[in-house]
Amino acid sequence: MAELPIWQYDTLFLIAVVLFGVTALTMQNLMSAAIVFGAYSFLMCLIWTAMGAVDVAFTEAAVGAGVSTVFIVATIYNTGASAKPRKPRVGFKLFAGAVAVATGAFLLSALPDFPAWGDPKSPVNSTVAPYYIENTIRDAHVPNIVTTVLADYRGFDTLLETAVVFIACIAIYSILRVDSAKSTVDEPDIIAAPPAYDPTDSLIIRQASRIMVPFMQIFALYVIAHGHYSPGGGFQGGVILGASVILLCISFDLKFVLRQWTEKKIMLLTALGVLIYAAVGVACIFMGGDYLNYNALDPVLPGDMAFARYYGILLVEVGVGVTVMFSMIGIYIILASNGRFNRGL
Amino acid sequence: MEEIVPKFNYIVVVILMMTGLWSMLAQSNLIKKCIGMAIFQTGIILFFISIGAKNNASIPIVAKAPLGQAHAPEGSQPPAKPELTAAKAKAYPDPPDVNKLTNPLTQILMLTAIVVGVATLGVGLALAQKVYQQHKSFDEDEILENQTK
Repeated sequence: MAELPIWQYDTLFLIAVVLFGVTALTMQNLMSAAIVFGAYSFLMCLIWTAMGAVDVAFTEAAVGAGVSTVFIVATIYNTGASAKPRKPRVGFKLFAGAVAVATGAFLLSALPDFPAWGDPKSPVNSTVAPYYIENTIRDAHVPNIVTTVLADYRGFDTLLETAVVFIACIAIYSILRVDSAKSTVDEPDIIAAPPAYDPTDSLIIRQASRIMVPFMQIFALYVIAHGHYSPGGGFQGGVILGASVILLCISFDLKFVLRQWTEKKIMLLTALGVLIYAAVGVACIFMGGDYLNYNALDPVLPGDMAFARYYGILLVEVGVGVTVMFSMIGIYIILASNGRFNRGL
Repeated sequence: MEEIVPKFNYIVVVILMMTGLWSMLAQSNLIKKCIGMAIFQTGIILFFISIGAKNNASIPIVAKAPLGQAHAPEGSQPPAKPELTAAKAKAYPDPPDVNKLTNPLTQILMLTAIVVGVATLGVGLALAQKVYQQHKSFDEDEILENQTK
């Protein structure tokens, strides 16, 4: 056999990923399914690291394996964990399986036309992408190409993605938020009844998170600021900042966090991040450039003309970080408290 | 075998997408549908990342040039702020070898997709909670029975 253009460990991980995915979907207990899904995300993150996509792996580790597992667990905590179907629906499941297999067969029929895995001469790798690799250092003086493409070359895209996160946060609020005083919906039993033991009363967990949270937050700030040189940036740092506050919510309780961050503050700060990003763009127009063309900001930024883009990227990354941090906190609190903002996980 | 092995990543992508699609169609539990949606999404992300991967390539961060290659232009004026000048950027090779760095473009597209993905997962879970408040169940069949009552 000719030299295999693949990574052996990746092949093993890919098989394991399929197994984890199928396991997560077939489990009867939703809580176990959520945890297996977290493990699935973590394996994915290893695969992406092996393929050289370190920024994506970082995001997946923080978002997929961390925050989205917590979201699912918070939802299940408020409702019920059993996924035992009332009817077996065998016929329908077979029909859906046939549809899925047919879709897969169509997709696989295109397989011979695809370039081999890891081919550096494939169309994807040889048309647009080389421009970014060759010119990033000259244009922006930022060694991390992913950060530059994210916040500079494709700055509009990222601005609107940040806006999508903000809008999703608003959507969740409008779906779930209820005013506890006026609510006519009964509280779910599990919330209404006090738990058999107080899960927030563990001294070890409280003290451990009390020590961990400041370091998590410093690390998150480092991730945002050092995203120019290493994997990281606004999205990853924002999610880690959000996760540190979510850890406080879990190890203490919601009231402890809501004393610092009221509902109003969280919503305002979520909007503030998008506004910082957009305002940087508007500032560029007022300084005589195009929207989000950071070169125009040179007179107000420190350093050489050549580093205007360097600082411009940092400014918008801060905006992204603020929005992502507070939308993660807001989404967690509203999912965990079932829209009441009083108590939860 | 020689046909399949170099394209194993695409096969796994298709399997993950099939699993996610089946789960969204066939599972009666709303949370399982949300997890299926997330798995479908990771399948697509895996597709993008694996077409951007290159053999023997490093991560898409430009490494500093080995010592000795870095040089300021000869005969130039000493820079006013030595720590922040274009001369510092000369410490990096110019331009980097395209085949030695993985494709950054597919990665950035997927990076934002992951964050937006968790936001949409949150919307899905919020809708599921709202349904649970009304019907006390995540099971589609039970919800349908409740509605026709």
